[in-house]
Amino acid sequence: MRRGAELVMSGDAEVFGIALLSLRVALVATIIACLFGIPIGFVVGTTRFWGRRAAITVLNTMLAFPTVVVGVVVWGLLARSGPFGGMGLLYTWWAIVIAEVVLAVPIAAALTAAAVQTIDPRVRRTALTLGAGPWRVHWAVAQEARYALTAAVVVAFGRVLAEVGAAMIVGGNIRYHTRTLTTAVALATSQGDFALAIALGLVLIALALTVNVLLQMLQLRGDAQRA
Amino acid sequence: MLSAHSLRLGYRGRWVLQIENLELPAGSRIALVGPNGSGKSTLLRILAFIEQPTHGELRFDGQPVRTRRDRLAARRRVTLVEQQPLLFDTTVKANLMYALRLRHVRHADAADLMRSAVERVGIEHLVTRSARELSGGEIQRVAIARALVLRPEVLLLDEPQSSADQEMVSRLPALMEELRAAGTTVCFSSHRLEEAYRLADRIIALVDGKLSPAAPENLFRTTVPPGTGPRVVQAGPLALLVVTDKVGPATVAIPADDIVVSTEPLHSSARNQFHGKIVRLADDGRGGVALTVDVGTELLVRITRAALADLNLSVGSSVVLSIKTMAVRVF
Repeated sequence: MRRGAELVMSGDAEVFGIALLSLRVALVATIIACLFGIPIGFVVGTTRFWGRRAAITVLNTMLAFPTVVVGVVVWGLLARSGPFGGMGLLYTWWAIVIAEVVLAVPIAAALTAAAVQTIDPRVRRTALTLGAGPWRVHWAVAQEARYALTAAVVVAFGRVLAEVGAAMIVGGNIRYHTRTLTTAVALATSQGDFALAIALGLVLIALALTVNVLLQMLQLRGDAQRA
Repeated sequence: MLSAHSLRLGYRGRWVLQIENLELPAGSRIALVGPNGSGKSTLLRILAFIEQPTHGELRFDGQPVRTRRDRLAARRRVTLVEQQPLLFDTTVKANLMYALRLRHVRHADAADLMRSAVERVGIEHLVTRSARELSGGEIQRVAIARALVLRPEVLLLDEPQSSADQEMVSRLPALMEELRAAGTTVCFSSHRLEEAYRLADRIIALVDGKLSPAAPENLFRTTVPPGTGPRVVQAGPLALLVVTDKVGPATVAIPADDIVVSTEPLHSSARNQFHGKIVRLADDGRGGVALTVDVGTELLVRITRAALADLNLSVGSSVVLSIKTMAVRVF
């Protein structure tokens, strides 16, 4: 435990690099996942179309996808013999990002759909009566749902940061390249280095806390600006 | 200004709105009256271009509004304050500025427009408050100010008198006068006829989604029992003797001018007599007085000022209303 704490405190270059990679993967994957997931959730949550119920069921099922299965599927797609093998992405940090995006899109979409479904239908009507165009109407709904939408981003980020199965499979846990905090914890544990595992775990929690605090501050500032 | 032609709105296999022709001339003040569920709110939403009719056409200045682009342009000239308006979950000020920001109005101009609207509905003390903290009446006033800020060409108000607080109700006549002076077309729905008479130049009655052929007062939905000759129908809580050829679902109208008011029961030919109390008195805008009498339901009665003085009537007076069987219209 002490050795682990020392490692962290001394600013060990390797630990720092691992933490940085974890953060980078999580941020990039969360941003991409939200760019796709939030609009999908919006459409599913606010428009009536044929097959909408089925779409909601599919989204909710995707929430429960085992991460190793997603890892294996993405591995199959990116492997040299797979359809995207030519891109040479397997065992790079981008491969981890791709797998995490697949895992996080359903979270962002399902939580967004749930959030906008509960918004008072008068929000849409009111924006329309005040002369809003279609995009502004969506924006008004998003603003009313802002707390729930922030929660969707936070949950997606949490899932991506804490995920280990898919990261291990498609990243390969290669030292200095694709070793993230979670895969490093798994490795340290399997090697019996419990102290290091705990220390890395603490770094992971600290990262999650920092990002969530920043998001919350961003939201508070947004509220103040709207006022 | 704004007109509707051959409007039909279907809902669950039946027409909830069927309006052949409706004109809102520029600068007019029109009251839309009718019982609950007669389609007033729906019609207002269609006129505000936020709900689309199943069939029919709306025209703005004679130009048909057909495409999405037309409707957006039209929505920038018309606005609607719903019966239970919604304020965005932010400050009152941000609510008032919302539409101006959409239109990229210059900041200084926006501030002027806001100030003037705020003064007209008397919400100076609410501007910096959060919309969440407001009472129902305050929300209504902010919503009206939010619509006024836009200086719409057509202002639609759904039941402005029912959810407004006392102060707003007392400000409405002056506000309507200002809007008329500014050339704004106003159309509002109301279930209180005497208020409608006071505030509007023209009254349109809506019954079961159709424009009513009869005067808009004292309308009731009923079912006429089979048979011929005089029959008793139920008009709200009142059992009314009527003469009609109709059988089945129908509308009963008791013309406000054909009701005789007395302080004692009359020995007369009028077969329908009801005891009640005067609950409201208002100038009917045509030199007479509109009495609202509670006889189990509210009936509107129009009499002359002289009659009112002769009978020495005021709010709270007990009266008897006599209605001739032949005066009651069934359609």
